[in-house]
Amino acid sequence: MIKRVDNSILEVHDLTVSYHNKPVLWNIDFDLPSGIVAGIIGPNGAGKSTLIKSIMGLISPDQGYTKIFGQPLNEIRSRVSYVPQRESVDWDFPASAMDVVLMGRYSERGFWGRYNDEDRKIAKQSLEQVDMLPFANRQISQLSGGQQQRVFLARALAQQADIYFMDEPFAGVDAATEASILNLLREMSHSGKTMIVVHHDLQSAYDYFDWMILLNRRLIAVGPKADVFTDELIQETYGGNLSILATLGNIMQQKDYPK
Amino acid sequence: MLRSFIEFFSFSDPNVVYVVVGTLLIGASSSIVGCFTVLRKRSLVGDAIAHAVLPGVCLAFLLHGEKDPLILLLGAFISGWISIIVIDLIVENTRIKTDAALGIVLSVFFGLGILLLTHIQKTGNASQSGLDSFLFGKAASIVGADLYTFGAVAVLLMVAVFAFFREFTLISFDPNYAQSIGMPVKWYQLVLSSLTVLAVTVGIQAVGVVLMAALLITPAVAARFWTHRLWLMIVLAALIGAIANVSGAFISYAAPRMPTGPWIIVVLTFLAMFSMFFAPQRGFLSKWRKARSSKARIFEENVLKLLYQLEEKDGNKKVDRSIQEMLKRRDWKHSEVKAALKRLDRRALVTGQSENWRLSQEGRMEGQRIVRIHRLWELYLTTVMKVAPDHVHETAEVMEHIINPPLEKKLMRLLNKPERDPHDSPIPYAEDDI
Repeated sequence: MIKRVDNSILEVHDLTVSYHNKPVLWNIDFDLPSGIVAGIIGPNGAGKSTLIKSIMGLISPDQGYTKIFGQPLNEIRSRVSYVPQRESVDWDFPASAMDVVLMGRYSERGFWGRYNDEDRKIAKQSLEQVDMLPFANRQISQLSGGQQQRVFLARALAQQADIYFMDEPFAGVDAATEASILNLLREMSHSGKTMIVVHHDLQSAYDYFDWMILLNRRLIAVGPKADVFTDELIQETYGGNLSILATLGNIMQQKDYPK
Repeated sequence: MLRSFIEFFSFSDPNVVYVVVGTLLIGASSSIVGCFTVLRKRSLVGDAIAHAVLPGVCLAFLLHGEKDPLILLLGAFISGWISIIVIDLIVENTRIKTDAALGIVLSVFFGLGILLLTHIQKTGNASQSGLDSFLFGKAASIVGADLYTFGAVAVLLMVAVFAFFREFTLISFDPNYAQSIGMPVKWYQLVLSSLTVLAVTVGIQAVGVVLMAALLITPAVAARFWTHRLWLMIVLAALIGAIANVSGAFISYAAPRMPTGPWIIVVLTFLAMFSMFFAPQRGFLSKWRKARSSKARIFEENVLKLLYQLEEKDGNKKVDRSIQEMLKRRDWKHSEVKAALKRLDRRALVTGQSENWRLSQEGRMEGQRIVRIHRLWELYLTTVMKVAPDHVHETAEVMEHIINPPLEKKLMRLLNKPERDPHDSPIPYAEDDI
């Protein structure tokens, strides 16, 4: 079940991605409309993070391409924002919440510019949007896991992009953070922004998202949740129907198969 | 000693000025670059580079035939650079992990350097004397033209870190994000690596290749104890590095046979240890003090709880309890109970004197609060978490000191303001008649 969209804003075309010669994503091909909250859903090791990392150009694919607003990423980077996994950085880094959020303004200012009052204002608004303004000057290592996640979201918001890719923002957060992120996703999508969120928890997925991308190394389904969230498709995503792909990947890794 | 101190710091000898300015700049600039090395968790790379510059220095001397500082610096820079590339190549193309690759590069390059150095010393070339000071450093040998070379490199390093401050911060904290916003992360990493090599090549003038890693890393580590702000950390690291280097230079001036490097490292280590123990918040002393004061608070709360339980048992609020009576119920020391009671007296939570005490109204409220939380938590464990009633006491002993008023209220609401705990003791509430 792969729903085609007329005026898509994200086009992923026949994407195949490998780590150390071992393919982890096979021929992923889909598009998404604007103004939705889309969840990328699948079990551990399904390649969910890999998918958004390759869309963001952090991993180069073996084949295929991605277009955002009909253009390659490099042309429209300022309209795209990325929230890495919280665990991917060392939170003992000497910085305040405000310092981290200001990093979201870097692309606007560039090498020759400096952060100015407008940047600080936008950073404060972004912190406010995730209920973190009271903690603006707090050292990031002194924040709870959920608060750190919200700082990451605020940094992405400070970029004032139109499409947001978030890697597991709900992983291991407290109830307050969960509510705050959900609220944010809804608000942003109502104002026409597109939010694409990697999520591993099937239980909550139906409540969180409008659209779903079911993924397990290959694309199983894309579409509005009512069409996609069926027993059959979920079974296909989470049931082990992948022995051929997994075996093939292992062979390619062992034989140093040329790319 | 005092005479040399006055001689040295009065700067009457122009050579001393060279040495002080030179070591100060070298110390400050290496420490500044070292902050980012530490924050990127590449401390050991600094050590490998430092050892790897030795063959470069020797080869440059062999080819050029003289001890021209600029040529030697160039040789050091090139061989330091090659070592970084070799480390990356090994990690990318083999199964060897980073730590092993660092070990291999460090020992092979350093071994080659020692080999060349021995060879040079045997040739009997008159101008080679002092080349071995690259091993342990000789700050006092910075004279005249050297100063301009090292000074220029040191200033270049400081200016570069200042100019690239936001970029280096971003790629050190979150390289994935930096790449996602289109920053040329690889390029900035290259710049930072080059600056590290450069910092090492000037730093070895002061401390030598063997101890260079300490000059790169120790000031940053020491500075981190004092602040959460990156720019302040960098300023402090520069200061620490500069102080250590100038002290080392002084020692090598006062006692010309002393190698400078080891003395600089001794001073640095002292400053780092000092920071580790005495820095506010992050220092051991402050952590130890915090732990001690919360231990004291917990003990006071336990005393209040016991006094409340004694009242609860015989229903008599108007009688003093002796410390002896308390010790019968608890495995405490007489002296610690007495000290805790005196502290509680100062906070007006108990009244009485020396051996005999009773709760004040405020103390009773507080004791009651602890007992209440203890019993609420036991009930929560048995009813909600289905823990056996004979297993709940120990955790409740801990939780009674941790649960704060909002959590307590939540717990009470969740359990529907219960009357009795799992052991059938009544749960006391504030509005009850006490």
